[in-house]
Order: sequence, then C-alpha cells, then structure tokens
Amino acid sequence: MADDKDVLRDVWFGRIPTCFTLYQDEITEREAEPFYLLLPRVSYLTLVTDKVKKHFHKVMKQEDLEEMWFEYEGTPLKWHYPIGVLFDLHASNTALPWSITVHFKDFPERDLLHCPSNSVIEAHFMSSIKEADALKHKGQVINEMQKKDHKQLWMGLQNDKFDQFWAMNRKLMEYPTEEGGFRYIPFRIYQTMSDRPFIQKLFRPVSPDGHTHTLGDLLKEMFPAAIPQDEE
Amino acid sequence: QSMSLSISPAQTAAWRKQIFEQLNERSKREMENFKHYEQAIEQSVWVKKGTM
Repeated sequence: MADDKDVLRDVWFGRIPTCFTLYQDEITEREAEPFYLLLPRVSYLTLVTDKVKKHFHKVMKQEDLEEMWFEYEGTPLKWHYPIGVLFDLHASNTALPWSITVHFKDFPERDLLHCPSNSVIEAHFMSSIKEADALKHKGQVINEMQKKDHKQLWMGLQNDKFDQFWAMNRKLMEYPTEEGGFRYIPFRIYQTMSDRPFIQKLFRPVSPDGHTHTLGDLLKEMFPAAIPQDEE
Repeated sequence: QSMSLSISPAQTAAWRKQIFEQLNERSKREMENFKHYEQAIEQSVWVKKGTM
C-alpha cells in the first residue's frame, strides 16, 4: 500500500542531528573540534561513525588510541541497540543536536560489548532478524533465503539503501491472509530505570476470539505503566 | 482476558493518518534545522559534495 510505503520511508530516513565531542581527559596534540553528523535512527552507532573516528584520530597520537566508545551524560551507549532506541531511551527530552562524548580510553567492559569490526555488527543484526523470524514464521522465511539474500539485507542497512533492504525485508514481513498476522509479534520494551535490559514475551497479533490486537493491548498486558492514566 | 475491540476500517484509516502525521512532526522537529549537517553514510560515493 502506498501509504504504508511512505511510513516505511519516513521511519527509514529518520535522522538524529548529533554533536560528537572528545572526552576532556583524552590527550590530544591540538584542540579537538566537535564533529557534527546526521545519524540514521535505523542503524548502529559503530556502523556509522567512521567519520567521527577519523576526525578525532587526526588530533591524537597513535599510542593514545584504543577502541572508540560513546557516552551520553555519563551513560555508556550500547552500540548493539539501534541509534533511534538509544536516543529515545536516554535523550529524547534533550535539546538538539544530541551531544555525545567520544572516548578512546577506559573501555567500560561491564557496560558495553566490544565492536572490533563491522562483521560483529552484521552478526548481531542477522541474529536479531533471525530471532524475529523465529517468532513471526518459526524461522521459515529467513531459513529459505539464500546467503546472498541475507547479505542484501545487511548491505541495505549498511549503505542506507532503502529499496535494497526492503526488497528482501518485504518477505520477512509477509503472512498468510487467513492467519491475520504473524505467529507472534517480535517486540522488546526497553526501560532506562530497570534491572532488566528489556521486556520480551510471546504476544499474538490476534486474540483467541479473533480480535486484532493493537499496540495499546500489548502495552496494557506487558507494561501497563506506559499507558497514560487519563486515556482510561 | 482480551481487552481488544474490533477495529473498523475507519479506525484503521484514522490511525494510519495519525501515525503519518506524528512521524512527519518528529522528522520536522529533529531534522528541519539541521539539514546542513553531513550525513553519516554517503549515499553515492562517486558524487563529490560541495561545501554548504
């Protein structure tokens, strides 16, 4: 449907204006200017920050460079969460641009996964896709795809190619009309103030008596605190 | 128990419109004043960008 495609495009092309600043205690040979970028909401921090790395490497000595990591107001940013999720979770009330601090030392081992190369991001992304398809279609769609199809999904994301990505992702989003939806809806509810990293449970798109569930139904069941009281 | 109601085509159309409007508002809020920023991923490697 044309309308749906417009929504998909708007979601895909969502951008967060971001200002990257080098952490004050990093040792530089000359002053490190901030670096400004539009980050795609639907991507991963370590996948889209080559320019940031290059920018700060220019003013630093080789021996002072360890793995780059990011922090917002004291919170290390998990690269394996999508950028849009990180922003909405930690910074949605902040004035734009989003101000991220860049570090090259003291990697917070307890908070972050290492990201030595893009292939680590690819493996993480593909495992998310597979997990979602296990819930949606018992993994049948992703398992029937060829290696090159998996690669197309990844390359679409990596190179910000909407059409390339959706030509393949379309198959992962289909379901038989008679079933009225996926087997289960893949979702995660992230919270900042919680011991649990996220809430993830089985949730069917249609109730046993045939009614279509809404996002509101899902939230009511999984996380009622998210429903504003005055809407009751 | 189920708390859902049947969804009419009119509701679906209204939601679709609302989602689209909210998405547009978000894009406007987040991107309108920052169009001069560099994109993190270059769309076409062979296009040389001028200074803006």
